[in-house]
Amino acid sequence: MSSPALARHPEDSMPATAVAEAGSAPAVTPPAPPVSFGTLALRWYRLNRAGLRATAIGIISLLAFLLVWHLLTTYRVVFFVRFTNVPSPLAVYASFTKAMHDPKFLMHILLSCRRIFIGFSLAAIIGVPLGLIMGRFKLVHEIIFPVAEVLRPIPAIAWVPMAIMLWPTNEQSIVFITFLGSFFPILVNTLHGMSLVDPVLVRAAQCLGARERSIFREVYFPASLPHIFTGLTVGMGVAWVSLIAAEMISGQYGIGYFTWEAYSLVQYADIALGMIAIGVLGLGSSLLIRGAGQLVMPWRST
Amino acid sequence: MVRHLPTPSIAMSVTSLALLIAQPASAETVTLGIGTQDTTTNTVTAGVVIRQLHLLEKYLPKDGKYANIKFELEWQNFTSGPPVTNAMMANKLQIGMMGDYPLIVNGFTFESNPESKSRLIGVAAYSLSGSGNGLVVHKDSPYYDLADLKGKLVSVPFGSAAHGMVLKAMQDRGYASDFFQLVSQSPEVGSTNLQEKKIDAHADFVPFAELLPFRGFARKIFDGVETNLPTFHGIVVRTDFAEKYPEVVVAYFKAVIAANQWLRNDPKLAAEKIQEWTGISKEVVYIFLGPSGNMTTDPTIKPALIDAATTDVKVLQNLGRMKEFDPKKWVDDSYIRKAYAEMKLDYDAQLASTKNYEISGEDAFCKKPIADPRKAGEVWVDEAGIMPFSSASCTLGAYADFKSKGKKINVAYVFDTTRGIKLFADQAFFAVGNGDVAPFLLKKDAEAYAAKISGKVLGFEDAVKAAVGGGKT
Repeated sequence: MSSPALARHPEDSMPATAVAEAGSAPAVTPPAPPVSFGTLALRWYRLNRAGLRATAIGIISLLAFLLVWHLLTTYRVVFFVRFTNVPSPLAVYASFTKAMHDPKFLMHILLSCRRIFIGFSLAAIIGVPLGLIMGRFKLVHEIIFPVAEVLRPIPAIAWVPMAIMLWPTNEQSIVFITFLGSFFPILVNTLHGMSLVDPVLVRAAQCLGARERSIFREVYFPASLPHIFTGLTVGMGVAWVSLIAAEMISGQYGIGYFTWEAYSLVQYADIALGMIAIGVLGLGSSLLIRGAGQLVMPWRST
Repeated sequence: MVRHLPTPSIAMSVTSLALLIAQPASAETVTLGIGTQDTTTNTVTAGVVIRQLHLLEKYLPKDGKYANIKFELEWQNFTSGPPVTNAMMANKLQIGMMGDYPLIVNGFTFESNPESKSRLIGVAAYSLSGSGNGLVVHKDSPYYDLADLKGKLVSVPFGSAAHGMVLKAMQDRGYASDFFQLVSQSPEVGSTNLQEKKIDAHADFVPFAELLPFRGFARKIFDGVETNLPTFHGIVVRTDFAEKYPEVVVAYFKAVIAANQWLRNDPKLAAEKIQEWTGISKEVVYIFLGPSGNMTTDPTIKPALIDAATTDVKVLQNLGRMKEFDPKKWVDDSYIRKAYAEMKLDYDAQLASTKNYEISGEDAFCKKPIADPRKAGEVWVDEAGIMPFSSASCTLGAYADFKSKGKKINVAYVFDTTRGIKLFADQAFFAVGNGDVAPFLLKKDAEAYAAKISGKVLGFEDAVKAAVGGGKT
């Protein structure tokens, strides 16, 4: 409740100071802008030096990856691993430009994102509270844990026939498979986080007269948050991993389906394009979760 | 160490073993990978039968340059063609078999492979009229014709022979490309979806259009014969392997010929064995590969099939899936010709013949010989065997007779009166009247015929009663 109010405060005061400045010193300010631009840029650079360095190295490493890929495929290198028929980056780029002119490709991506979003959100909404409850109450843990452990190792593709039969529409079947993919990592990591909560903290809260609900809110939840976010990141990755299996059902749309159809027509460049698209989308969604993690856990942000 | 191979001059050794050890041994072991489709029933004589009966081992050359070569056979089973092409591209398989559309994609994909091309060297089985592929709906659905499916959700494995059939059927009838909501689903996914009524219809290749009705939840409403475009499953080989070991490819065809012989010598035993090896019900195997079946197993490369492949290429080009590709240049019949010559068989005679082996013998129920096999019928009595009958009416009469004697009947077959394709009798529509019992695949054909003979259209049970009563309704 208090933080939004705090955040609004500077916003409200801003226009007032701006007006005051504009009215009082119109003659003094002109020499300032050129200086401030340079210093501002310098200051920004100093502040973000570490970030810039990481970005630069990241870009160089990606370019190096592309270059190595390009060389391996143009010279069709065979050294135990065979690059004879692996599509080159240029071939994949040609596929990419073709796909960009095709409105269907965007549709594939949008639909996949929607499926991942719904499946993942459901997994988080169910998985996190369930993990917290299982971590707190032994009986619930004893009931649910064996079932979860049996279901957890089943790969997404094996779920395809069952998912078709379980759900009335195919869209639901697909969301169900992405849900399963992300659910177990989230649950297991939340449980793990709960098991690592320092009992001293719990006892201290109890000594201070905290009730069960307060202990949950003030001790258990914040203490296991880092692990919950690890679970969410892993879960998001696995959700994308399950995508091809899930979208085999759709038969029409989705980036997983796009890749699958390219396979059934043996179009290697399109297969690579689908793989890269899934990779990039997966990276984007993981970044979103990390960003959310930093917002929720400001004490951990570096 | 990174070796650059700018040209394919350093030929890839097919021995993955030699790659691993990288030491030349005096007795060389060559791995021959063969990609089969066991569940695609019309490829069995080129794949699973040879594997199970060890026919290839029997014919492999053992002297001359092969004295020091030991062949290791590696059979890999897939449920569709594209994974076979993928493994062939990666040189994990040297010989592969698949349906007409995947074959073309195979030949075209190999065009850009610098190490090797692929060649169509033989045929596993074909149907000149295009039977084998079919479109099924759920048995409770109100659809009896393609026209009933306007705007409905129809799934088919894209890039398969069945996909080609659907496109040809739409073209023949002048349907726009959005007449159906056409989506791509593999047989496994499509079958489950149809059973759950998530889709309105599913089109598929051998054996699904027969297997799903046989399993009891589907009804075939369109058969590939209506497109009248030949369909076939063929055999492709990597040219680098075939050029290095041509005698092995010839030996493989001798095995194919022997497998065909084995099948035709005792089709019932073959169907039972194939059920044991592949899991496809023997009654379904028999409808394709039995006498007067819907597929002809004949390894020769008929010109009509290559013409059909040329048509298929155009369909793929129109879809933007393929550039220039000439099927005629991709065919190489030298190996199969050599196999025929060495087995003292006449290749050209077989090439010219488009005859299947047909139902023959004496009708024990109506007490007369079988004159026209495509008007005949068969009843498979459990443990007693498969018995031929001279007409649909005699078949149904015999069926009732067996039933009344308390015999267990596996299945009865009849033939579509106009198209001559083999049907499961209990799935057929019968036009009955004036002593005539005429079976049909399609309800509308049966209705038209019934109107002509001023009879009635009956289901199987009623038709059996009518046949016992002498063909009167």
